[in-house]
Amino acid sequence: MAAVAVRRREYGAVFKYVLLLPAVIWVIAFTFLPLISVIQYSFANYVLGEGITGYVGFANYENVLTDHRFWHSIMVTAIYVVVTVPVEVVLGFLAAWLVSLGAPGSRGFRTIIGMPLFALEVAIGYLGVTMFSSQGGVVAVVLGLIGIHIPWLSTPAGGISAAIILDIWRWTSFVFLIVLAALGSIPSDLYDAAILDAKNHWQVMWRIGLPLAWPVTTIAILLRIVECLKVFAIPYALTTGGPGASTEVFSATDYLTTIQFFDFGKGSAMGIVFLIMVAVIITVFFRQMRKALD
Amino acid sequence: MINVLWLRSSLWSRVVVYFLLISAVVFTLLPFLWAAVNSIKTSADTFLPGAVIPFVNFQPTLDSWRGVLEDPQVENAFVSSMVVSLGTTIFGLILGVPAAYALARFRFPIGSNDIALWFLSQRVLPPAVVLVPFYLLLVHLRLIDTWTGLIFCNSTFNLAFAVVIMRDIFRDVSTEIEDAAKVEGARPWQVFWKVSLPLSVDGLVVTSVLIFAFTWNEALFSAALTSQSATTFSALVLASRSTRGVDFNVASVNTLIGVLPPVILYFFVQRYLARGLSFGAVKG
Repeated sequence: MAAVAVRRREYGAVFKYVLLLPAVIWVIAFTFLPLISVIQYSFANYVLGEGITGYVGFANYENVLTDHRFWHSIMVTAIYVVVTVPVEVVLGFLAAWLVSLGAPGSRGFRTIIGMPLFALEVAIGYLGVTMFSSQGGVVAVVLGLIGIHIPWLSTPAGGISAAIILDIWRWTSFVFLIVLAALGSIPSDLYDAAILDAKNHWQVMWRIGLPLAWPVTTIAILLRIVECLKVFAIPYALTTGGPGASTEVFSATDYLTTIQFFDFGKGSAMGIVFLIMVAVIITVFFRQMRKALD
Repeated sequence: MINVLWLRSSLWSRVVVYFLLISAVVFTLLPFLWAAVNSIKTSADTFLPGAVIPFVNFQPTLDSWRGVLEDPQVENAFVSSMVVSLGTTIFGLILGVPAAYALARFRFPIGSNDIALWFLSQRVLPPAVVLVPFYLLLVHLRLIDTWTGLIFCNSTFNLAFAVVIMRDIFRDVSTEIEDAAKVEGARPWQVFWKVSLPLSVDGLVVTSVLIFAFTWNEALFSAALTSQSATTFSALVLASRSTRGVDFNVASVNTLIGVLPPVILYFFVQRYLARGLSFGAVKG
């Protein structure tokens, strides 16, 4: 009997690794090894067709750090994150609160407001070209009625603003769906108590809804920051980085450096510099996620 | 739904709530309506801002739909996106679900949360950063411009969804049922395959829909790692953005086609979705 039990336990010990290891090995093979190779390429002189022809020390890094286009893309990405994430969180939270009030028709509202999360980003960016077009675009026409004329896609500020508006349209639904579920899991007797001494909806939201949904909201915020730092599809499809390279986000600059210009050394160095920059944000992200998961 | 609050609301605040909700709906639907209207206009009519209502303001035509749908490139790209998204979903589940189960049920020398976070940390890595090694690897494996190559890349970045979401789902499967099966003499893999997995179908469906939708939406790998035969719909849209310039008809039809598959899936799973989106932090 004892021998059988021991064999059982050993079988179990092996079994759990059989389940876990394929995924772990896959991640090491396709995330960590590529990352090491990016570091290698960042120090190399790469010639298309010949491969690595030699190592150049920090020359690629110097090249990146003195590149105006790179710094500009970092700035555009930073503006993008700093504007979109707070707006998406506030709007998403408010929309979730309104829907969770349970007015007749709430299900329909939920379905529609959650929908943009499933829209194809590149298509939305392309559609944005027509919506923000100064010739017959719906945004220009509507704003024109009240006498506002904004040169959306022909100026850097206009292009970034338009991309940010589309991003808010697309990703507010993400915060909305997460917060809605959190609000829905709040026991209703808490509201019964709160409603007695609250003057209005606003107070109930501040006193009950926000504090209780806050842990989940933090996760939504952190996930938005992480995804937003990688942003590519909407701004690139909308402006293709133009005019010039003035609206290029980091991912677009790195993509163009690597795939259009085949400058693998510089592209790799760019990626490493970017990764180091977001390291701080990642650390904060992990700490928060860990709290939430525990 | 918090009906208490609604029942105690004054008429005034009900009006405000409906006004705000309807505004949100209008804001949400506007791009879709804009795309719908422009997809049935002639290209000349697209420049007439007043032409809003079909048959009244302009004569609708299906020409641009026909033009896009009859384009063999569009058909190929749509099929590519379908195959790559489905392939990534299946492959991601095959790799991720067993790992999720192991993390939910067994002890490891490293904590289960730490391992889950380690998987999640891949989402932090921007695809643009690893473009060079992925490109070279696929060239080396002769998988550049193939569905398989894209499935590999996308699986890597979506595996975290399967692991983290399903880990949470499996944790909710009662261990009593599993223990009962063990007493009946079921082996560990039978417990996993025949007891826990069938009890977690909801979670599997949500995870699948999320992986499908994220892969469908992916544009950077698609654009960089395909050139012709495996071009996905997103890569095609991106390419037509540069080659066609401002074409209201094409942009509109593409938007509507590109939105359809993930949105249809969304309609079916919306109730369970939030749990997956927050990586299990919301208990559904």
